[in-house]
Amino acid sequence: MHELSIALGIVEAVAEALDQRGGGRVRSVHLRLGALSGVAKQALESAYPLACEGSPLEGSSLVVLDVAESRDLEVTAMELDE
Amino acid sequence: MTLKTRLVEVRANALKQNDLAARALRRKFEEAGTFVVSLVSSPGAGKTTLLEATLRRLRERRRVAALVGDLATDNDARRLARAGVPVRQISTGTMCHLEAAMVDRALDELAPGPLDFLFIENVGNLVCPASFDLGEALRVVLFSVTEGDDKPLKYPTIFNSSDVAVLTKLDLLGAGDFDLGQARWNVEAVRPGMDVLELSTRTGTGWERWIDYLESKRDQAKERPK
Repeated sequence: MHELSIALGIVEAVAEALDQRGGGRVRSVHLRLGALSGVAKQALESAYPLACEGSPLEGSSLVVLDVAESRDLEVTAMELDE
Repeated sequence: MTLKTRLVEVRANALKQNDLAARALRRKFEEAGTFVVSLVSSPGAGKTTLLEATLRRLRERRRVAALVGDLATDNDARRLARAGVPVRQISTGTMCHLEAAMVDRALDELAPGPLDFLFIENVGNLVCPASFDLGEALRVVLFSVTEGDDKPLKYPTIFNSSDVAVLTKLDLLGAGDFDLGQARWNVEAVRPGMDVLELSTRTGTGWERWIDYLESKRDQAKERPK
């Protein structure tokens, strides 16, 4: 169950990027998830809303792109209302 | 003003915070000439037993210390402290793995002074520790002959994130159905070329090779240009 730590890492990374843009409301976060990353997609999706609580990402959804034969764990985009 | 929805590109690793902390630790260790070895395995594979004996042996000629992670209790720290070296328990509460920031904090609290070797025993878990860099120079994955010889096939991620595999409790070979040849083949299947050391802490089989291996890896790291 290290997925909560990973989810918190995602929230932190996106909050930083959001800050650099001067804020906005996050609708969704896009993540490349490698099959070899050691992270379970379902557990990550369950942990994500918890990790978002009390952050500017609260209420956003997580869009996961599965990548075979990769260890990627990378936030690629955020969908913003601005 | 109407709100527009737009997609903004972000390039950030979800483990960025841990990776940054681990990188800072690694730089610190390299500058101090400390060779850092982390141990990962399932609970009960013999990390603490191997580590206690290793600390005893290395302390004869090296400055050594250890950090040990568990969800609760300081039993392992007390066991390791019998080796007569500085030891600090990291109690993770409900966390299933160690992170670089925990290592940094524990090291500050332990303040062991200059070290030749620092050992970090991770929480017994073959899944979660794989994702978290601790700033170590060598990650050792242990599995014992009382487990299944297919452990590498079942948990490829931890084998892929480790540098060397150590097969423990060799004195118990034959007590179950563990097939040594099959185990070696399984390691090779998930991580071609991975070093595999086979040993028994109890009987001393393979023990010198393990100590020599640690020393030679430390020497190689010292020779590497910074």
